[in-house]
Amino acid sequence: MNGGFTRHARLWTRTASMSLQAQLTYRLGSAGFLLGKIVRFVFFFAFVAAVFRRTDRVAGYTLEQTALFFLTFNVVDMVAQVFFRGVYNARRVVNEGDFDFYLIQPVSPLLRMVCSSVDALDAATLVPVLALTCVLLRRLPGAGWLGAAAYAALTLNALALVFAVHVAVAALAVRTQELENAVWIYRDVMFMGRFPVDVYAFPVRLALTFAVPVAVMTSFPAKAYLGRLSPAWIAYAFALGAGATAAALAFWRSSVARYASSSS
Amino acid sequence: MSKYLTAYSIALQETLQRRATLLMDRVGGFAVVLSLYSFWSALLGGKPSFLGYTRAQMLSYVLIINMLRSMVFTGRGWLLVGEISSGRISSYLVRPLSYHGYALSLDLAQKTVHAVSAVLEIGLLAALARGEVFVPRAASSWAAFALSAAMASLIFFFLEFAVSTLAFWTSESGGPLFCFELFLQFAAGAFFPLDVLPAALRRALEATPFPYMVYFPARLLLGQISGREAAARLAAQAGWLAVAAVLSLAVWRRGLSSYAAEGG
Repeated sequence: MNGGFTRHARLWTRTASMSLQAQLTYRLGSAGFLLGKIVRFVFFFAFVAAVFRRTDRVAGYTLEQTALFFLTFNVVDMVAQVFFRGVYNARRVVNEGDFDFYLIQPVSPLLRMVCSSVDALDAATLVPVLALTCVLLRRLPGAGWLGAAAYAALTLNALALVFAVHVAVAALAVRTQELENAVWIYRDVMFMGRFPVDVYAFPVRLALTFAVPVAVMTSFPAKAYLGRLSPAWIAYAFALGAGATAAALAFWRSSVARYASSSS
Repeated sequence: MSKYLTAYSIALQETLQRRATLLMDRVGGFAVVLSLYSFWSALLGGKPSFLGYTRAQMLSYVLIINMLRSMVFTGRGWLLVGEISSGRISSYLVRPLSYHGYALSLDLAQKTVHAVSAVLEIGLLAALARGEVFVPRAASSWAAFALSAAMASLIFFFLEFAVSTLAFWTSESGGPLFCFELFLQFAAGAFFPLDVLPAALRRALEATPFPYMVYFPARLLLGQISGREAAARLAAQAGWLAVAAVLSLAVWRRGLSSYAAEGG
């Protein structure tokens, strides 16, 4: 077990290092992608700040509170980009037959498929976002240490949910050799997590809490910090995180068991 | 001309054949629009207007964004980058057709399908908004909007083409294209009306072609620009279209002269 963990950790470190080297080699391309990510972040932040120059609250939240929702969304989204980037190549890996090689290697094919490609550019943008989030958390009158602990735990739970989504997308690629857009639909739906879930109409809030739990991933941590999330909802979030992860892993195992090689 | 019509027809059939991909594209786009719609709705709350937009105008702006995103921002830039980088472009260069005309035919087919889908989605959202949507009465507003949207679509086509053509000189043009597309969407007003920005920044953006892709056509339809000002702005938009077309063709010619037919 321990040896397996060390082996996988070394593999991840090696592939992460290779991804970083590749991105440093393609300087113009990497600079463009990095600049694009910064533009997206800055424009949205400027938009929210500009809106609050003309109003005090949106859906009952002040500027700083809304910024916490926005930053939490970015933390969850960027961590997913850093660690689960491999899913974006899942369909190609299956269709070109590379997945057959993953299966005969003495490492987890799931790790190879989901986590082996690390986006160093997102890691670079994640650092200032994390710093901003910490500064904001210190400034906001939250629910004290308990709120901070709930925020951290629910953010980790959000990452478990994001992991589950990425595993499910990879499993779909293995099972169907199609659905190349599945991960992009996730990205688009995640867009809704940029704003507090309270801005949405009741049926949409319901869908974002139970059907496509974007609210659990992005709004719940901030709401817990602000003392606006009841223990029952916190318990629901953890149950969902555990259940979704277990279900996604079961789906992955079942898909791999059915896989009969799709390439020559 | 008939060969371009044939290309359009084939591309239309191909787009309609990949129904799952189309559906996912639309669901993703719908999520973005629903998100913005909900944010503005929450922001307006009980206020009669915000930034000079009435509630109906602001919500309509978001719906128009959905239409214009479908008509304007569905380009072939990434495909062109791939075709140049892989050398597949060679097979088009030896054919008796203009690559610009061919690409425009394919682009129009894609835009046709997405624009029709956008109309259906707008109908759905307008129904959900229960009459809180601004519908212009004057036929001239619709005519000016149609003309402006068509020019916006062509400006994007030529600008994206010019940036993608960088692939003739570097295999890393994906980065600049990614950055360009993201910046353009914000600068065009495809996420929020530019009125929200500080006056100096808005004026600076208005001196570029970007606001003519979403912000200006949307304001035309909302009746916020009319008469002489509308005519002057349409003329300016036509000017930007001419500049974009000339730039795109010039970069294409320069690129072709340095192209070395990579690939097999």
